[in-house]
Amino acid sequence: MTKKRMVFMRELLNFIGIGDRLHLEWISSAEAQKYTRVVSDFTEKIRRLGPNPLRGRAVKLPENLFATPPGAARPAKPESRLAAAKTAKG
Amino acid sequence: MQDTVKTWLTEGTVDIFLGYKMVEGHPIPHGFNRDRLDEIDEMVTGPARYPLEKFATQLLQMHPDAKIGILARDCTKRALNVLTIWQQISPGQIQTLQVNCCPSPLGSNTDCSYLQPADTGAYKAAHGVDGSQSLQALEQMPEEERFDRWMYEFQKCIKCYGCRNVCPMCFCRECSLENKDLVGNGHLPPDIPIFHLVRAVHMAGRCIDCGLCEQACPAEIPLRMLYRKINDMMGNLFDYHTGSSPDQPPFSLLGDKPSTGLAPMTAEAAKNE
Repeated sequence: MTKKRMVFMRELLNFIGIGDRLHLEWISSAEAQKYTRVVSDFTEKIRRLGPNPLRGRAVKLPENLFATPPGAARPAKPESRLAAAKTAKG
Repeated sequence: MQDTVKTWLTEGTVDIFLGYKMVEGHPIPHGFNRDRLDEIDEMVTGPARYPLEKFATQLLQMHPDAKIGILARDCTKRALNVLTIWQQISPGQIQTLQVNCCPSPLGSNTDCSYLQPADTGAYKAAHGVDGSQSLQALEQMPEEERFDRWMYEFQKCIKCYGCRNVCPMCFCRECSLENKDLVGNGHLPPDIPIFHLVRAVHMAGRCIDCGLCEQACPAEIPLRMLYRKINDMMGNLFDYHTGSSPDQPPFSLLGDKPSTGLAPMTAEAAKNE
């Protein structure tokens, strides 16, 4: 099941344009060496790919219509009216 | 057509018939019943589409024994097939009356051009995803360009949930898209691309390519293109053709059952191992 989902997910992410950042491996708790190898290899691969485009680089927008680029600081939530009313009464 | 519906209602083949009625010049979905047979003369068909099968599913949730008649296009038939597989309706509970249809790679017999995408403006063609191009053309673009184009489309989302609300296949009582741990709320655009990808993944084995989501989208996000890719993958990877395959979708089945078509997948999986 996991394998089926992974094959599917990898292709979907690839279609959207953020492929290559997904990896699946079965490692037994007795396979410490395999574990270190897989994790180091994958870390290396990710390092080569560079930062996550969804975080590091703001989405390249021709015009920034109303978008808060993902990862950018979002404006603080305005205090709710209920809370404001309570404080006023307070 | 009107006569058939009248016969069905008077003979008790169906308790209610879902079709369209002209109200103030607009075809509006309407349930015709045997207490008001004269209304049936006002029944119309045309290019207007609403998710009638969704209304049927909702009616059946309230009245599980009701017999429902429904005006059906090819997509309605695929929808009923999938709804049966997902155990939302029982086979034979819904009678269909076939009318003309709109084009889809998933269906044959298509003669209506209502769903042909509107002309794509120059701006969208340059920066966004053109819904009228072929899936292959989009796939041939460089990965980075595809990413930028999809992000341009997704950031237009106003999170109106129109795509989900109109979708005949969205029958879940609890929706992942409303789970604030999965999709944060309180800001626009919603978390992209998570919002759209969550929905896309949930369309695997469900999307019947009716195109209502794209029609409903006020931001003109080419959702149909995204879900077409999902259907394409279901076909290529699992040999599962949503709407025509009689089996449970591959993600509902454990293991390598032949019906989930592991033959094409093994080559792909071997490449990725």
